[in-house]
Amino acid sequence: MLEVTNLNASIDGNRILNGIDLSVGSGEVHAVMGPNGSGKSTFAHVLAGREGYEVTGSVALDGADLLEMEPEERAAAGLFLGFQYPVEIPGVNNMYFLRTALNSVRRARGEDEISAREFLAVAREAMALVEMKPDFLERSVNAGFSGGEKKRNEILQMAVMQPRLAVLDETDSGLDIDALRVVASGVEALRGPDRSMIVITHYQRLLEHIRPDVVHVLVDGRIVESGDHTLALHLEEHGYRDFGEQDGAGQRLSGV
Amino acid sequence: MTTATGTPITTRTDGNDPAGAMPLPTRRDEAWRYAPHRDLARLAFGPAPQAVDVPADVLAGIPQLGGPLVVMVNGVVDSELSQLESLPAGLTVHPGGGADGGDSRLAPHTELDAAAPVDAYDALNRSLSGNGVSVLVDAGEQIDPPIHVAHLLHPGDAPNAVCGRVRITLGEASAATVVETHVSVGDLAGGASVRTSIVLEADATLEHLVLQDLSAQQMLLARIEVNQHPRSRLRARSFNLGGRYGRIASQVDLVGEGAEADLAGLYSGSGDQVLDQQPTVVHRAPGCTSRQAYRGVLDDSSTGVFSGGIDVRPGADGTDARQSNDNLLLSRQAEVDTQPRLEILADDIACQHGATVGQLDPTALFYLRTRGMTEDEAGRVLVNAFADQVVEEVRHDAVRDWLSRRLGHDHD
Ligand SMILES: Nc1ncnc2c1ncn2[C@@H]1O[C@H](COP(=O)(O)OP(=O)(O)O)[C@@H](O)[C@H]1O
Ligand SMILES: [Mg+2]
Repeated sequence: MLEVTNLNASIDGNRILNGIDLSVGSGEVHAVMGPNGSGKSTFAHVLAGREGYEVTGSVALDGADLLEMEPEERAAAGLFLGFQYPVEIPGVNNMYFLRTALNSVRRARGEDEISAREFLAVAREAMALVEMKPDFLERSVNAGFSGGEKKRNEILQMAVMQPRLAVLDETDSGLDIDALRVVASGVEALRGPDRSMIVITHYQRLLEHIRPDVVHVLVDGRIVESGDHTLALHLEEHGYRDFGEQDGAGQRLSGV
Repeated sequence: MTTATGTPITTRTDGNDPAGAMPLPTRRDEAWRYAPHRDLARLAFGPAPQAVDVPADVLAGIPQLGGPLVVMVNGVVDSELSQLESLPAGLTVHPGGGADGGDSRLAPHTELDAAAPVDAYDALNRSLSGNGVSVLVDAGEQIDPPIHVAHLLHPGDAPNAVCGRVRITLGEASAATVVETHVSVGDLAGGASVRTSIVLEADATLEHLVLQDLSAQQMLLARIEVNQHPRSRLRARSFNLGGRYGRIASQVDLVGEGAEADLAGLYSGSGDQVLDQQPTVVHRAPGCTSRQAYRGVLDDSSTGVFSGGIDVRPGADGTDARQSNDNLLLSRQAEVDTQPRLEILADDIACQHGATVGQLDPTALFYLRTRGMTEDEAGRVLVNAFADQVVEEVRHDAVRDWLSRRLGHDHD
């Protein structure tokens, strides 16, 4: 489903991603783990089409060349990015935002716009999935949301948009135990044979709830190791020292 | 391009009126620094031209508020277009032209008229506008339907500029909403100087809305003077949207203890528009509160001006005055000039002011685009969200709907 080949990215001449190769099959969940500053968010942004990077290499989603597309075209092609830092948009309510988002990708795919009634049903279901309070739809997008609410909102948006490939950038960071459970069960519920996920995380604990098919270790913008879920446990115990991280002691994995 | 070559402003009026003695403002006058002086100099003021046709679609283009309507064509009340039958009890509307029968409630306005004019356009207004339309609310009355004063500008070749006058008095403990709209017929170059004076007696509450949506070559020079007596409340909202130059200068005098003035506005420009907000609140009595909150959205090579004055006079202790001005620049050529004018001569004062000038947040744009919105769509959503903070505060649905349509918002 997703084929990343020799992906490089730099900003102002500073190389951040160094030849990433990654292949994600349909229905698979891959975890990408790595210390702070290793390039995890950059990888996610480059996949989603953020401007400002010089990018080489290739990324194909279901055979289509993602790097040639605008961010909105990537969304229409089925890519979803869950942001590490979801953006606050005061003055735009969630109802309008979600409906506009959903209708934008539907239009781009040549589908009809969703009716108000159908939309409400979709939104309610997504809200229930992440236990969002009923006043959610009237509130401004992420404005004044707690950290946990923001991350739950990302999963809620994923549930509404029903992507082919979801890239979740540290959706688990900054969450208390309850919020982590809600987010994890939301992700689990959206797992399916036609949907792949790349779950970017700094900690092992999300992976206790969501068992990934493959775990990759990203250090200095390159994947230095891939393995099954036991790799995450190894990292939990030993940190990234074994993988060329200079100052592993400063990058303890457990705890917040 | 048609250039109006009317007689210059200073000789158009009577030899013995004050305008003749006042020179036109220039760039060196702080309050006029960013005005398009070359275009302003082409205005030739004179009395309203006789009998002009007003196409039906012009009236259809203004908000339909369902309440009393005064239509002023080139500053003169058009009684056929106006709807002044069956006014609510407690409301009087004098259509001007000497028909106010010496109503004693207009005396405070006459006093205001005695003060020296602040500039040449103000002086011209006093000599040319006559006594204008008067809106009077009896003490203790609450007038629910908004009272709409629609100014239609229909310039001729020469003169191409006219003057309008509105007087509003709210008696003690009364309440009302007055909406002034400024629209134009056709697309000739022209302008209007419109002066509104407002007197709020003790405990009165007024909501005053100004909607400026002139066509591209026209200019509005609006001056609003307010006198507020004890505990009276003003809620003023201006929407400065159309025209070559839209100037809304207001001076609010808080003369009675405990009066409150809440002023806000939105200016939204494109092309080479200049949209100029010049609010000043003068705290003359103790324990008064004032707010100024203005937002600007400037596209293309338009210019936004905010010059907000807070003037706290000796003895106005316990004043609470706040001012904010936030701007969104949508193009490299757009410009905003923002400046607080503070003069504080009393004790125990709370005074805050702040201004921001920014562009659309690239991270927010990216966020929306990852949710499938095109760059244009995402930009529109963010601009509308910014502007809506002013629009949403308008209480009257018909005005809010008109604004949403005018600003191209499709929020439901
Ligand atoms: N906009 C940027 N400009 C310059 N350097 C950046 C920018 N974004 C990220 N970087 C640098 O790239 C590296 C990787 O950052 P990031 O992808 O955010 O890492 P992670 O998400 O793994 O913590 C860091 O050294 C960071 O400082
Ligand atoms: Mg990151």
